[in-house]
Amino acid sequence: MTAGWPLGADGPEALATDRYLDALLAADERRADDAPAGLSLDPAMRSTALRLRAELVRVHPSFRFEDRLARRLAAAASLPEAAAAPAGETRVAGAPTPDLPAAAAARPDGTLIPFDRGARAPQDRDVRFGGPDRRPLLVGGAVTSAALSLAGAAFIAWRLTHGSSVDPMSRAVRLVRGGRELLPRAVS
Amino acid sequence: MGGRGVAGTAGRIVALDPDRSLVRAAQADPAAFDALYRKYLAQIYSFAHHELRDHHEAEDVTERIFLFALEALPRFREGAPDEPGGEASTFRVWLFRIARNAISNHRRGLRRRPVAPLEAAGAAPSADDVEGGVVARAEASAAWAAVARLPADRRQAVVLRFVEEMSTAEIAGILGRSEGAVRVLLHRALRAVARDLVGSGVTR
Repeated sequence: MTAGWPLGADGPEALATDRYLDALLAADERRADDAPAGLSLDPAMRSTALRLRAELVRVHPSFRFEDRLARRLAAAASLPEAAAAPAGETRVAGAPTPDLPAAAAARPDGTLIPFDRGARAPQDRDVRFGGPDRRPLLVGGAVTSAALSLAGAAFIAWRLTHGSSVDPMSRAVRLVRGGRELLPRAVS
Repeated sequence: MGGRGVAGTAGRIVALDPDRSLVRAAQADPAAFDALYRKYLAQIYSFAHHELRDHHEAEDVTERIFLFALEALPRFREGAPDEPGGEASTFRVWLFRIARNAISNHRRGLRRRPVAPLEAAGAAPSADDVEGGVVARAEASAAWAAVARLPADRRQAVVLRFVEEMSTAEIAGILGRSEGAVRVLLHRALRAVARDLVGSGVTR
């Protein structure tokens, strides 16, 4: 992997484009209102870059999907963990075969563990909502920052502030593990 | 802007993975993977959505990506891609490489199955499908359409650069190319999109 650009006639122009994109993203990062001049760049390219920057937004999954997958990962992390995995590796049950049936975090009696919606790592709050990224965001198809409903805003605010300090995945794992200790070892 | 700090001066992704502590915690205890999952879910899902243009397909492949990452995490090794004998990188680059492969496999699977009904459904969301309607309107943007028409490697480079704000070095690590090649890829992609927008008469 080299930093050079000996790739035909486009090399020097590509470097100029790259520098402009760096400046454009950096301007967004420091919340500068003016776009970088980029005078060495073709104006059509410059306006296209500005447009892509404005219109290519991140699409966020729905909270329902996020919670469901978190539960499935928790279940996968807690099942035959380190099941005689070689060389100190952790063998995670439930991992990645395409035809794997859906799993859910469940108590020994089969009831689902309620998901703690409130807990979230502090560093992620900034990344996802109201943090340095002020660009539009699609949440499960619904635009935030541009068209956030009052109910949606209330839900997000509640989600960010409500809940215990216990990480939901850890809680689910502990519950599953704790429950399993009550079960006969024959269950594998 | 995640990942900028990991671009090395010599064009390498140096071993300053901002996720190092989270990765180590998750390698010691899989339950701690949740923090990495929460941090990267939106990025991975968004990348999959931009590639597959379908909410359900993106969810499906996102699930596989994280399940695979959870299982493979013990084998992850931080380092520069051009280290002798090493292929590892930062966790984010590693995760997006998994994503790229998973999406590629998913696409191959889709080609073996008819997808017209899905696309038709996406093109005309029902009246009560508010979410679908919003996504459809966003995707109807000429810029999105122009990007979608790019060849896969250019399209992925554009999405990673503009949406995920990745450095050229990170994109190079994900696409398995040199930084110079990624710069040219992005330059040509931008030029193609500019021509496309001019051709469709939607420039502003």
